[in-house]
Amino acid sequence: MLKVENVKKAFGPATVLDGVDLTVNPGEVVSILGSSGSGKSTLIRCINGLEKLDAGRITVDDFDVSRPKELAEARKRSGTVFQLFNLYPHLTALHNITLAPIEVLKRSRAEAEAEGRALLASVGMGDRADAYPAQLSGGQRQRVGICRALAMKPRYLLLDEVTSALDPEMTAEVLAILARLAASGTTMVFVTHEIEFARQISHRIVFLEKGVLLVDLPTKQFFSADGGLAQPRVAQFLSKMRKD
Amino acid sequence: MRFAEFTPFDLVLLAQGLGVTIGLFLVTSLIGLLVGVLWGVVRFYRVPILMQLVTFVSEILKNSPVLVQLFLVFFGFPAFFHLNVTPVQAAIVTLSANTAAFVYVIAVSSIESIGRDQIEAARVFGLSRWQVLRLVIAPQAAAFSIGPLTALLVNQLQVTSLISVIGVMDLAKIGATLNLRTLKPFVVWTAVGILYYLTAKLVATLGARLERRLRAHSAFRCL
Repeated sequence: MLKVENVKKAFGPATVLDGVDLTVNPGEVVSILGSSGSGKSTLIRCINGLEKLDAGRITVDDFDVSRPKELAEARKRSGTVFQLFNLYPHLTALHNITLAPIEVLKRSRAEAEAEGRALLASVGMGDRADAYPAQLSGGQRQRVGICRALAMKPRYLLLDEVTSALDPEMTAEVLAILARLAASGTTMVFVTHEIEFARQISHRIVFLEKGVLLVDLPTKQFFSADGGLAQPRVAQFLSKMRKD
Repeated sequence: MRFAEFTPFDLVLLAQGLGVTIGLFLVTSLIGLLVGVLWGVVRFYRVPILMQLVTFVSEILKNSPVLVQLFLVFFGFPAFFHLNVTPVQAAIVTLSANTAAFVYVIAVSSIESIGRDQIEAARVFGLSRWQVLRLVIAPQAAAFSIGPLTALLVNQLQVTSLISVIGVMDLAKIGATLNLRTLKPFVVWTAVGILYYLTAKLVATLGARLERRLRAHSAFRCL
């Protein structure tokens, strides 16, 4: 279980997370919606230990990310896919994927590479294993980014606006892969602006507004008039996003 | 001493001088690179006290003339610490330290040129700070630093000529000796200049080649 309890985070005078509670059970797909600056990315960055919490607690399978000794275990259980890919430019697609399994999980090179190639093949990039990130399109880079996270066999996949740097065609490539992962039972925390897609794949939808978790409802209820839409802020956000 | 014409043996002398210059250049560059990078690592880990010390020493070395440093090591230290320092030892210590100071600056700026996103991507997947430095930052910083490093080494090669004033028989000193003997400064210094030029050119060419290899990944080759 991934548990976020009363988490607070401020950058200087700006409060970004103001007492957030969230629980993600294994097998669940939870999408986090909210306008830019609502704290979605910061929440992800708190879960994977990139930001220190000002208050509250985050545990990943009971490992507290605020404790340096437990952070390593917590990180082994979560895999992050970044908005801007963050691939290592000096390594090939394959080696981007195998670096952490070899160095952190101490897998043998041959084993890690075989798995890396299988992952690449599963996202339709079997022939691009030896290409460097600079030689790949945005959609291909993000597919490598997803493989890199999956190679660590994470129990929770953290996706931070993974398609917002991509054009619609490349977005579709990446979303197709995520839909398959969701269908196969991968636990995902999915920060996104792709509302329709979130509706299709999520079990639950969470709405973040100015660092406060305004709504946390099963997908169906979130989109129903007496559920999430009863919240004026949510209704406003959804109607605006759909117009665009 | 009476002046005399050039003899074929002068070529051997020039070759010897060039050998000493290149030898000292290689040794001091290597030591300078190792020490400078080590200082860069100290800075990366923000080792308290050591980090301030390194910055202080590097500041002093960068902002004072090499000739003064050389005199201090060759004349000053022996007088003060009652040490015996040979010209070659003084040359190696001074040039290595001076190179290290500048390598340190290049190392720090190269490490800092690697975006936080790279470090975060690696940390999130559980790589330790040392693994991040070794496997993610260092290879990228190395490619970034080759340009400035080559420029530095070409300059340090010219700087080695200063050690002739404390009596090291390097290329410049051989030039001075030949000049005194033949009284043909134009010929002697032209020849010496050409030898320095060719050596510097070789360093620059090797640097450029290495840079091309290290940056192969960012070249847009296919698609």
